Amino acid sequence: MAFTIQVQGLNELIRAMDKAPKNAEKVAAKALYEGAGVMADAVSQAVHGIATEPFKFARGGQTRKPSPEEKALVASAKHGVAKFRKSGTGVNTSVGLQNSGYGQLGGKTKPIPQIANAINSGTSFMQQQPFMRKAFSQNKGAAEAAIEAGIHKYEDELELG
Amino acid sequence: MPDEYTSLVEALKALSQEDGQLTVRLPMAESEWNTRPDTVSYGIVRLDFEVDALRGDDRKQATAYEGSVHLFSLKRDGAGWVELITGTLTAHCDACWSLNHHTYERETGLFHWEWVFQVEG
Repeated sequence: MAFTIQVQGLNELIRAMDKAPKNAEKVAAKALYEGAGVMADAVSQAVHGIATEPFKFARGGQTRKPSPEEKALVASAKHGVAKFRKSGTGVNTSVGLQNSGYGQLGGKTKPIPQIANAINSGTSFMQQQPFMRKAFSQNKGAAEAAIEAGIHKYEDELELG
Repeated sequence: MPDEYTSLVEALKALSQEDGQLTVRLPMAESEWNTRPDTVSYGIVRLDFEVDALRGDDRKQATAYEGSVHLFSLKRDGAGWVELITGTLTAHCDACWSLNHHTYERETGLFHWEWVFQVEG
């Protein structure tokens, strides 16, 4: 059985899409950078708040705090805003300690993200201090506000087609 | 202590009594119920920090807390505790938790799961 679908307003929609800002992605990336900066600053602050104690082996079910050396490695590691990636019609990024390299600890070479993860999520022998999760959860609102402010700040740069 | 957190703790406590192989450590709640058994699995429940608060009349009207449940197990499948804990969390709230971390500790041979949840206090 034949039937017909009639779409009204399609021509208007195509014309409206033609008027979409050609550099919207660039402006969105600039705004996103403002928000990511808030998160990166929060993470930096949080790293300095990690509680430490001199290194000791945790035995018999005891847990220990990270050593000052472990904290120093995490604090000195490269952390910040990752390279922006295209995602559908938008852009996204991540903030953290990815690709922050390796550090020397007790004569062994260890990946710094692994040390940070052990502190953030805890292990069976290290006390959990969720510094990263706390920084993200408590600053989500501030980051969103910074992105919104960034959009308003850069909206004049939008080039309408 | 938020009521919802307490009920979650009670639910997990009930799990531990069901089998006796899981002891939940509660660093911020019931410190006496805090011994680590020499068994296949054990768990920790923590109320980690305050996420946000709704203010009104110059005081906090509601507060959101973030916490975590940890399971350490010598068994790759968590000796059945994974299903029990996630089932308890889902019964508690369907969309307020997620699996945040799952690793293998080479030093101890333990598998570690970390679930993060948010509750209103």
